[in-house]
Amino acid sequence: MQRPVSSLGLSPSVKVKLVNSGLQFTADLLHLKPLQLSKDTGLSQQEALEVLQAVKTDGGGDEARGGRVPASLTALELLQQEEEMRSIVTFSSQLDAALGGGIPVGKSTEICGVPGVGKTQLCLQLSVDVQVPQSFGGVGGQVIYIDTEGSFLVQRVIDMATAAVKHCSLLVEDDEQRVAMTTFTIENILSNIFLVRCHDYVELLAELHLLPDFLSDHPKSRLLVIDSVACLFRQFDDLSLRTRLLHSLTQQLIAMATRHHIAVVITNQMTTRLRGSHSQLVPAFGESWGHAPTIRLLLQWAGSRRMVAIYKSPCQMDATIQYQITSEGFRDADQPEQSQSKRPRTHTDQ
Amino acid sequence: MNWDQLELDPRILAAVRRAKLKSVREVLCVSGLDLQRLTGLSCSDIRQLLTAAATACRRHPPIPALLLHRGECCRLGSGFRLSVGCPLLDKLLRGGLPVGGITELSGESGSGKTQLALQLCLCAQYPTQYGGLNSGAVYICTEDSFPIRRLQQLIREQPCLRSDVPPSLISSLQFSDHIYIEHAADLDSLQVCLSRRVPLLLARGLVQLLVVDSVAALFRSEFQAADWLERNKQLLTFSSTLRHLSQEFTTPVLCINQVTNVFSGSDGSLGPLPSNVTPALGLAWANQVMVRLMMRRLQETVVRGEQSSALRRLEVVFAPHLPREGQDAAVWREGVRGVST
Repeated sequence: MQRPVSSLGLSPSVKVKLVNSGLQFTADLLHLKPLQLSKDTGLSQQEALEVLQAVKTDGGGDEARGGRVPASLTALELLQQEEEMRSIVTFSSQLDAALGGGIPVGKSTEICGVPGVGKTQLCLQLSVDVQVPQSFGGVGGQVIYIDTEGSFLVQRVIDMATAAVKHCSLLVEDDEQRVAMTTFTIENILSNIFLVRCHDYVELLAELHLLPDFLSDHPKSRLLVIDSVACLFRQFDDLSLRTRLLHSLTQQLIAMATRHHIAVVITNQMTTRLRGSHSQLVPAFGESWGHAPTIRLLLQWAGSRRMVAIYKSPCQMDATIQYQITSEGFRDADQPEQSQSKRPRTHTDQ
Repeated sequence: MNWDQLELDPRILAAVRRAKLKSVREVLCVSGLDLQRLTGLSCSDIRQLLTAAATACRRHPPIPALLLHRGECCRLGSGFRLSVGCPLLDKLLRGGLPVGGITELSGESGSGKTQLALQLCLCAQYPTQYGGLNSGAVYICTEDSFPIRRLQQLIREQPCLRSDVPPSLISSLQFSDHIYIEHAADLDSLQVCLSRRVPLLLARGLVQLLVVDSVAALFRSEFQAADWLERNKQLLTFSSTLRHLSQEFTTPVLCINQVTNVFSGSDGSLGPLPSNVTPALGLAWANQVMVRLMMRRLQETVVRGEQSSALRRLEVVFAPHLPREGQDAAVWREGVRGVST
């Protein structure tokens, strides 16, 4: 395949010099040595070296393809890869069933909902759940938690971690699980959650730019949580800049999710949309952002019950499931016959 | 931030200066290809530039939550809470107000919101082992004039409220010297106050608690119904200023809010409410609040000695770390106290 030199990631002046000396395609450069190239084109030796490096790494011809560009996969290979990757359980068996095992690794999931419905609770629950050892059917990974609202409260994580440890210790059957339990402790759970606080969108962009390095250093990372994207981008005067930034952010997240096999979970706020005379609650950022996440979960109230709806998913049916937030975390709603709730309900006047 | 602080090749820095990029932050908002076009640098140079800029802009590398739990990163706010000054109410709030984030206290008029806010201004001044923050408070009034007589009374009655604190310590604290009172009668003066004076007080360590009493008054009075778009914009600016202050200085922010009546036609999509009122200012504001508390005045009256008080109930509407619970309380001469039932 012929690739024009002008499409390489080089500075414009260098490209002009290359083209002026008749070097139109990357194939023309492949056999050249730096010294020769700099003589032919009038580039400095340093620049010539960079040109040749760029040609090699960006794939000048199929056989010279560098390690950075992944080879193409067949659909069968993809399927096998996906089956190897486990999902992160949510500790709500109904939601897991509806999602086909839980929150998928390697994909992005958006959680939308009104304040107080349980977005942060689900994020915290997932940060604990992702660490469930593999012998228990978990993923056994680490978490990067980007907190933009200050709502990451360690106290609450300890509640959930304690419940998860207790839950797993009751399930122990064989020696492998017994060994796994020695490392699945509250202290280890906390030390596997890497927290980042971002106060504005530039800090978030900076963090996402540096995150691939962190992920390479911590190959066990399986989950990236951003709680929430919305609160950093809600007050923006320049809407076209906002759209562009959000789109490039999405691209970065998708690239990270696939390359490092991590699940990306982001939360979003709700906003009111007026349609004629009646208003409706919709996720913030409008239609174009709706394409960004692979899966969208909508948390909402139905009276005093909490419901989660699968709003968008490429491979699962639409479903609405009731859940509850107990002192232990995100759980299935109690069955109606045993309706005693684990948490005290608020009293009403009557 | 200055370009010279970045560890970069002088050649790259020179190209950046030529391209008239104003700040390091701006670089991160421009896409890689645009940067190449603007600066005339090569792809690998741009990568270096972006990495350097990103390193300069981020506050800290990812930190394990365990360190946070052990309180080894004070900048990120440990599990610190500002005590409310009453064991029963502290139990409801699991220790008190969280130090990073906006706490909203809403309720009808006369439910005791201001009473609790005044009490917190005093509690903040105790040393940390008594649940305080060892610093003063700034109180922004937008509704009424500051209830100074009531504050004096609360100060006199402190030994009665805080029986856990040695009386000698209480008498050594100069409570009223460390409460800074601001009156903001319109949005502009509120903005000036929040962007100039409050950061100064916080930066000097003079205060560690910010109270706004109330947020609703200004936003409800200054805008017509048709100006809701402008109102939302102002509200977002205001709340992001508050959030920024709260996170930057790890200081608790208490916002007092009014309530509005819920009409029977509403769909309840914002969640079940303890009564037929909902906090004012709608969803745009609710999105910005981390902990939402509600105070209600009940019908009963409680009597203690010669004092009597209407029974109140403090309820958690939502919070990342609290269940939806409530605690009965009453307002006495010495302050707000939980009533065990």
